[in-house]
Amino acid sequence: MDATRRGFLGAVGRVTIGAAASVAGASQSAGAAGAAPDDSGHRPHWGMVVDLRKCIGCQACTVACIMENDVPEDAFRTHVSVYELVKDGQDPAMVMLPRLCNHCDNPPCLPVCPVEATFKAENGEVLVDASKCVGCAYCVQACPYDARFINHETQTADKCTFCFHRTSVGLLPACVETCVGGARNFGDLNDPDSEVSRMLRDNEVSVLRPEMHTNPNVYYIGLDDVLDGRVAGEAAYHAEMVAGPGHDAAQHGEGL
Amino acid sequence: MQVQIHELVGAVHEAAWLPWAVQYFFLIAISVTALLMALPGFLSGRADQLPRARLALMVAVTTGITAPIALLADLHQPFRFWEFFVYTHKTSWMAWGAWVVPSYVGLTLAFAWAVHRPGFASLGREDWRFAWLFRWLSLGGESNWFARPLGIAAGAAALGILVYTGMEVMVVRARPLWNTPFLPLQFAATGCVGALGVMLVLERALCRAPALEARLNRQLALALAVVGALGVAWFALASSGLSPRHAEALASVAGFPVWYRIATWGALAIAVPFVLALALPRNTGWVTGLIAIHAAWMFRWTVFMGGQAVPKVGSGLYDALMPAGLDGLMGVIGTFGLWIFLLIAYTTFLPWQEAGAPQDRAHPATPAKSAGSF
Ligand code: SF4
Ligand code: SF4
Repeated sequence: MDATRRGFLGAVGRVTIGAAASVAGASQSAGAAGAAPDDSGHRPHWGMVVDLRKCIGCQACTVACIMENDVPEDAFRTHVSVYELVKDGQDPAMVMLPRLCNHCDNPPCLPVCPVEATFKAENGEVLVDASKCVGCAYCVQACPYDARFINHETQTADKCTFCFHRTSVGLLPACVETCVGGARNFGDLNDPDSEVSRMLRDNEVSVLRPEMHTNPNVYYIGLDDVLDGRVAGEAAYHAEMVAGPGHDAAQHGEGL
Repeated sequence: MQVQIHELVGAVHEAAWLPWAVQYFFLIAISVTALLMALPGFLSGRADQLPRARLALMVAVTTGITAPIALLADLHQPFRFWEFFVYTHKTSWMAWGAWVVPSYVGLTLAFAWAVHRPGFASLGREDWRFAWLFRWLSLGGESNWFARPLGIAAGAAALGILVYTGMEVMVVRARPLWNTPFLPLQFAATGCVGALGVMLVLERALCRAPALEARLNRQLALALAVVGALGVAWFALASSGLSPRHAEALASVAGFPVWYRIATWGALAIAVPFVLALALPRNTGWVTGLIAIHAAWMFRWTVFMGGQAVPKVGSGLYDALMPAGLDGLMGVIGTFGLWIFLLIAYTTFLPWQEAGAPQDRAHPATPAKSAGSF
């Protein structure tokens, strides 16, 4: 019992240290004002590195984001997809994949917006000016990652902001702050000394849907190729789950 | 390597473009193709073409008024529509559409008014209860030489609509089913099918002129042949892999039984009216017309709702083909209701059977001979 508790506390200690390091990295590069360039003219470019080896699929980030950003019930700004992978008949492996807006440097959601409500902020965040958005949902169609949705409370386009309201005062995004496994790391990609830059240097990283040439600012360590696009697997969701019992369970894959 | 994947936790994304969008794309395509079919008759002034041109103009006007209302309803912030004109984002096809749509509707209404002006004037001269209304509608004159330039401008705007509606959807790379170069052509061709379908039904309901019915049926067969040829070419390009974009579109839906059913349904909706229209061009107008309308509508429902049911990153298909609910259903019923109301108003209050070719500037206009000319 003691050993187990000691082990558990040890793990918590490591996580805490990891989180503290990320906080330090962010606030250090963000400076007091967060977004503005510092005296030397350095302007942060925010990015996230998700270390999939550390994600345990607890959805703490999903919940933290919902609480922090008042995300309505039927939508997510971020969530963690969970897959069971069976390779060559080996034992099944559980694989987690946190998903969020990639704050692309070449974002397809931006040029389609008819009223310029979607814009790229100076630290690289792709944001929506909700006071301008007409709710046409063209951007929702254009995002190749299903990262956007129409918020039915505001009737405007909604998505992850990298917690702009927090980063602009030197805080970490809520999902990073809360990440139990220390999988989500956030910081300044323009700063070669930042934790995220170091992670990008020291690890093999990949992005989702590279064929779309969106230049994402969310990177993954340990992402399996079979999961980086539209995942060709059996879906968790089936129409019959909504339609109720009495449907042929063999009709898997027919989600319409 | 053999990999089996089961999604255990995933998010479902609802369709963001609702059935209102289907209604908009359906009605606007019918409107512009009908206007393009109406123009030659009115501009050439050939008497044998006028009956068809009048039906086409009736379709263009009534669907042209209804379509933008459906479009507005698809916005989640409809009262911010004015922003389209204040913050036009030049890289967005939708932003250009915001300028093209009112231009098209305005020019089409102006053209329709111009070709009816002599009719309004003559009703205004008669001694009856509503003469004052028609005098007012004719703006105190009957000259309509300007219908010609108005018609040409409306025709250009109609082409603009075909380009913008096609491109707006086609450029969405994230949706493989939309991102195919054939899509704008398919929208135009199925628009023609829908417009001819409505004209056939109206011909049966209002005119009952067998020669006109046969002519419309033959034109419908031609339009269906074009739609069929485009469909076959689409499939050939996709399955042979000659066009990677078409191949990707096919791959995004292949393997789902519901899509086999949709493909079969679509093929039948083209083949059945095609055979009927060719083999029995007379007395089949109701059937061919209604199937043609259904085919044009179904095509859009499948493209928009089916396209949105394909996850971009998740697995399987979402439940978007049937987001009907009360909201979706109300959108479809409401727009059809408004359109039918406008058709009734048009045929009741307008001297539509007298609309003729615009007169030259030098000569005063006289209404073309009416009913008998069918
Ligand atoms: S992930 Fe989607 S919403 Fe986010 S910036 Fe890229 S295209 Fe836009
Ligand atoms: S929904 Fe809003 S942010 Fe998205 S394209 Fe339309 S106006 Fe722009």
